[in-house]
Amino acid sequence: MAEPRLIRDYLADLNARLPEGIVEELRDGIEQTYRRHLDAGLDQYAAERAAIAEFGPPAAIAAAFTDAAPGRSAARTLLRLGPVVGGCWAAALINARAWTWTIPMIIPSAVAVVPATVIALLITAAFAPHYRAARRAASAALIGLVAIDVALPGTLALPGLLNSWPLILATGLSLARTGLAIRALRRIRLN
Amino acid sequence: MKAEALKGHLDGMLLAALEDGPRHGYAVIEHLRTASGGHLDLPTGTIYPALHRLERAGLVAGSWSVVEGRRRRSYTLTDAGRPALEGRRAEWKTFASAVGAVLEARPWPNPA
Repeated sequence: MAEPRLIRDYLADLNARLPEGIVEELRDGIEQTYRRHLDAGLDQYAAERAAIAEFGPPAAIAAAFTDAAPGRSAARTLLRLGPVVGGCWAAALINARAWTWTIPMIIPSAVAVVPATVIALLITAAFAPHYRAARRAASAALIGLVAIDVALPGTLALPGLLNSWPLILATGLSLARTGLAIRALRRIRLN
Repeated sequence: MKAEALKGHLDGMLLAALEDGPRHGYAVIEHLRTASGGHLDLPTGTIYPALHRLERAGLVAGSWSVVEGRRRRSYTLTDAGRPALEGRRAEWKTFASAVGAVLEARPWPNPA
């Protein structure tokens, strides 16, 4: 069946806002709605308008999908957990008198810049009004978070420095957060 | 009945629509329409995001099939979805009894 013009334009609008798989599902639904109106005796133009009116504005549909987007709830959870994990690492580093360590300057710079970038991406993933932007930000933030949570214990724990309760606690929280982030990343890839 | 009045009950109705077996999005919408005697006035497009949200919560499972050359996504109630549906039913009964008791000025049912 050739797609009627109004429905084609409506789907093109949705296509600009949402991933192909979702639009494919919506296309199936709106075409069945359109056929029901044709069967009820409406002409093509009226049936198209009725089907589109039943579905609602593309912006509202896209906003509802964005709210249910994979990665969005994980981003919100991780934003809430952030201060707890960060606080533990701060306590561990203070306890280890990290300011007395002799380390290349690049490490403190990375410690400041990478988490700040990840937080900005998590905020985008949690609150961005656009599906694709939210999803991209969630993927990038989760990858960044996994990198941080692997690098921190890898740098401090593996060389035999896992010698205090704050460090053990911070390492445990980082590993738990890595599991959460990897699970959320898998969900994003599956959708 | 407007969407505003249904806030909080949509998830339960969607789970109930899948209780008897798998349905695709449009069939879920048709079920809501016919089961309510045409009284439910929901923007159809918002049913699909709600199904996706339930899928992410693990209460329904989505799968693709091919019908008349077109891919179609169907949803099935999961093992976790069944107790969730019973929970929603119990919540609804309490809610409906409470609102009914106030609106109709009748006493709250005595558990004894």
